[in-house]
Amino acid sequence: MNSIFTTIRRAPYQSLATFLSLVLTLFLSLSIFFLLSFLYGLLGYVESRPQVTVYFQTQTSESDILKIKDNLISSGKILSAKYISKDDAFKIYKDLNKDNPLLLEMITPDILPASLEIFATKPSFLPQIADFLNKQPGVDEVNFQKLIIDKLLALTSILRKVSLGFFTYLLISTIFILITITHFKIALKKDEIELLQLLGASRGYVRKPYLKEALLFGFASATIVYAVFISLFFLTRQFTESYLTGINNLQIEIASLKITVWPLGLEFALILYAITLLFGIIISLFSTSIALRKYIQ
Amino acid sequence: MITFENVTKIFPLGNTALNEISFEIEENEFVFLVGPSGAGKTSILKLIMRNLIPSSGSVMVDTFDLSTKKFKETEKLRRSIGVVFQDFKILPEKNIFENIAIGMEIIGASKKLIEEKVQDVLHLVGLKEKAFVFPIQLSAGELQRVAIARAVCGDRHIILADEPTGNLDPKTTWDIIKIFKKLEGKKTFVIATHNTDIVNSLKKRVLILKDGRLIKDVRKGGYEI
Repeated sequence: MNSIFTTIRRAPYQSLATFLSLVLTLFLSLSIFFLLSFLYGLLGYVESRPQVTVYFQTQTSESDILKIKDNLISSGKILSAKYISKDDAFKIYKDLNKDNPLLLEMITPDILPASLEIFATKPSFLPQIADFLNKQPGVDEVNFQKLIIDKLLALTSILRKVSLGFFTYLLISTIFILITITHFKIALKKDEIELLQLLGASRGYVRKPYLKEALLFGFASATIVYAVFISLFFLTRQFTESYLTGINNLQIEIASLKITVWPLGLEFALILYAITLLFGIIISLFSTSIALRKYIQ
Repeated sequence: MITFENVTKIFPLGNTALNEISFEIEENEFVFLVGPSGAGKTSILKLIMRNLIPSSGSVMVDTFDLSTKKFKETEKLRRSIGVVFQDFKILPEKNIFENIAIGMEIIGASKKLIEEKVQDVLHLVGLKEKAFVFPIQLSAGELQRVAIARAVCGDRHIILADEPTGNLDPKTTWDIIKIFKKLEGKKTFVIATHNTDIVNSLKKRVLILKDGRLIKDVRKGGYEI
């Protein structure tokens, strides 16, 4: 370990350039990964809200509404449908306005409409379901969130493509920078390498210090980036919380495991660190290995 | 034992460094390679450590046949050879102890053994007091003594020296030769030199080269330019 620090101290500018390139790449990659995870979590959240809500005229009977619900279920296009009676709606209304007695006094269960909250099996069924409901007698209004989901899907898809392009560019440029820096280091130690080879050093022995240094840089830069990222996350937490009022939980699914993205828990925090660390070490070792293969014969 | 049999070395641009050279060097023999610049002295040393491959003929070092194109034991071969260069090749950022220890570190020797052997060779070359100083603090003669210490440290039983006294004044030159003499009979020495004084006074075997040919092999001789 001491020899690595000595090497770093003896070539401070090359070491700093390696470190800064890695830090920039890892910070941007981590931010992209976090943002995409967050967006996917948000998409999942929106998809988990009632996708179609149909409000009935106040005079529509419960049996007519339940008949419509049965028809929908038998169509096979919906996952579930929840009936909200006038009384249930009044309870929800009371709950939402418990701090405002004036609003509570003005409303009775009779004037609130009964409704159905419907979840489709596929987002593509939403227009057909809405169409069907609009044609039913006693229906007052049909709301469905296709537009929001479509916009979020489009945004996520664009962001994923842009991120992928940006990430690839970042990765390639970092690898080239690290290869060039390692080449400089090898050139600086040309005499030592030549001597070691003449004395019978194996390839592994000659390459080991460079690989150890790469491992250290990968580890150090990933840890520092992670620490900075988490600090920034907690510093901006209040702002994010105010922005996400009413959303208690955002989840993503990785390999059939549900992971909570918001609020940030230990599980996701560890995943973020593991990914950053792995990525940092892989880039650093990969670039160094290429440089060693090319410049140490 | 080192055996050259009809060895020819022609470089890619067509210049012939060695032409049909044959000789044998016994174990623990002390041999000088002499001749004018371009005679082929350095090429012979490079062939022995497989830094060059012969164009034709055969080079054997101990049991290694270095003429084989796909020779895969270069590392093993080089671990039995110590090399002393005219320009010393001492690493400036390592202290004297570390510079000598390199040769043993690469073979994976234990710290205890390295410590023991390095101290032995430091004593041999008279630099025991300077183990932890850096090369910049040493004179040219002392640096060459460090290079010799590095070459002989451990189990390296063939010592190749390419103009080891080329950069040194007469007094320092003799100090270096004294170190070689201390090891005479314990290791095989192949020393390439221009220094007629040393060759003539030591009366060792001399291989005289000219234009890539071995023109004389004198068992106990000297030579004149």
